[in-house]
Amino acid sequence: MLTKIMPQGFIEGIIFLIKEYYPLFLDGIKYTVIISLTGTLLGLLLALIITPIKTATISKRDRIMLIIFKRCGICLATLYVEILRGTPMMVQAVIFYYGLRGMGIDMSINFFGILYIPGIIVSGITIVSVNTSAYIIEVLRGSINAIDKGQMEAARSLGMTKLQALLKIIIPQALRNCIPAIGNEFVINIKDTSVLSVIAVTELFYMTKRINSIYYRQTEGFIIAAIIYLILTFTTTRLLYWISNKLGNRKQLTYPTSQSY
Amino acid sequence: METILEIKHLNKRFGNKLVLKDLNLTVKKGEVVCIIGPSGSGKSTFLRCLNLLEEPNSGEIIFEGHNLIAKSADLDRLRMKMGMVFQNFNLFNNLNVLNNCIIGQTKVLKRKKTEAIKIALELLKQVGMEAYINETASNLSGGQKQRVAISRALAMNPKIMLFDEPTSALDPEMIGDVLNVMRNLASTGLTLIVVTHEMDFAKEVANTIVFMDQGQILETNNPEVIFNNPKHQRTKTFLKRVIEKK
Repeated sequence: MLTKIMPQGFIEGIIFLIKEYYPLFLDGIKYTVIISLTGTLLGLLLALIITPIKTATISKRDRIMLIIFKRCGICLATLYVEILRGTPMMVQAVIFYYGLRGMGIDMSINFFGILYIPGIIVSGITIVSVNTSAYIIEVLRGSINAIDKGQMEAARSLGMTKLQALLKIIIPQALRNCIPAIGNEFVINIKDTSVLSVIAVTELFYMTKRINSIYYRQTEGFIIAAIIYLILTFTTTRLLYWISNKLGNRKQLTYPTSQSY
Repeated sequence: METILEIKHLNKRFGNKLVLKDLNLTVKKGEVVCIIGPSGSGKSTFLRCLNLLEEPNSGEIIFEGHNLIAKSADLDRLRMKMGMVFQNFNLFNNLNVLNNCIIGQTKVLKRKKTEAIKIALELLKQVGMEAYINETASNLSGGQKQRVAISRALAMNPKIMLFDEPTSALDPEMIGDVLNVMRNLASTGLTLIVVTHEMDFAKEVANTIVFMDQGQILETNNPEVIFNNPKHQRTKTFLKRVIEKK
């Protein structure tokens, strides 16, 4: 590929890079989308498991063992959220990656030879999932608190346990209300996966850096990356807006945006 | 007649304020008890204590031989035998009318779904709501919501039904529909405890009237005595005011 010479002009340079290296950009886009999408969905799943633990309330009727169990759960869940929200994802990424490498653990997944996922991609997805879950836990908690107390009372008055009421009545309503906020997390992840380049995850930013290093020219490549990110977040935001409308969340004022915290 | 519910020396505090003071009441099987009294007298809190939506601070609530306040009481099992109807209906917003009436049956009583649907449809028919089974709660009027809420509670085959001001959030036109449903229930011999401001209903349907003021039960008697010849001065002034307002 080095046989061709990159033109001197700025615009010509951009056109040249797109023309010659679009497969690499596409590869980067693919992993950026895959990692941010699966990361958000798995993060949601994790959040759905951890939120009931974090929001557990201790009742006077609980047995002593249950109280200890609940208190530990609340402590651990709070620690989890505080640590993950209080440290940069980039730092989490390097600790996770080098930590695993130090222990010699291979993260690659092989589904009977049909589907092979490289270890670095699995690492990337894991980091994004865990990080996102911390934010979604807080979103879900707020959403659960906003549900009318009468819903829980009605469920308990029918004889449902607190967990049954949460799973069947409260969380379905809370989830529906926080779809825009979860969409927001997805959009944030599209942008924030770029920090995974520090551990050489082959997402868009990493691929751009690789292309740039061929000719020692930085600006043109990063401009292309910026435009691609913008197209990705813009279309995703409109798509989520549309889904949100379809689900009848019209009264909700917070639509997904690409705004970061 | 057999006693179904017995309340002894019930006290309830919110912070430092004693809101229920030494309440005593015995409810017989099949009896209709109406709790009346001015706003803020603790009627609703009292009712909510009966199925432990509010935890009393001391006293005993004996239901079918079990003291509900004891730590060992299996609350979920006892609660399903006590139906509750709320002022604000509290239909499950994520479920349609039919599923509102099914979920307790399948999740708590572990009934088969086909059986649960049959029971729910029968009950919804009795309250005239069988045409709305696929509607969500937000599409119903207040009176319709309350009738569905009653069916939802009845689907659990409760031994006692607790009504917390069931008509207070309704338009005057719809109050009649809900009161009729409750009249029918009373005639089936189900035990009802009703917190209400509907004096005509109380006079007509109740076997026992409980008059509460400032967290205390001032008088417990049959409707004739309470309405015609109340012993307590406070009862007299309250009833006079309520009846004058009409």
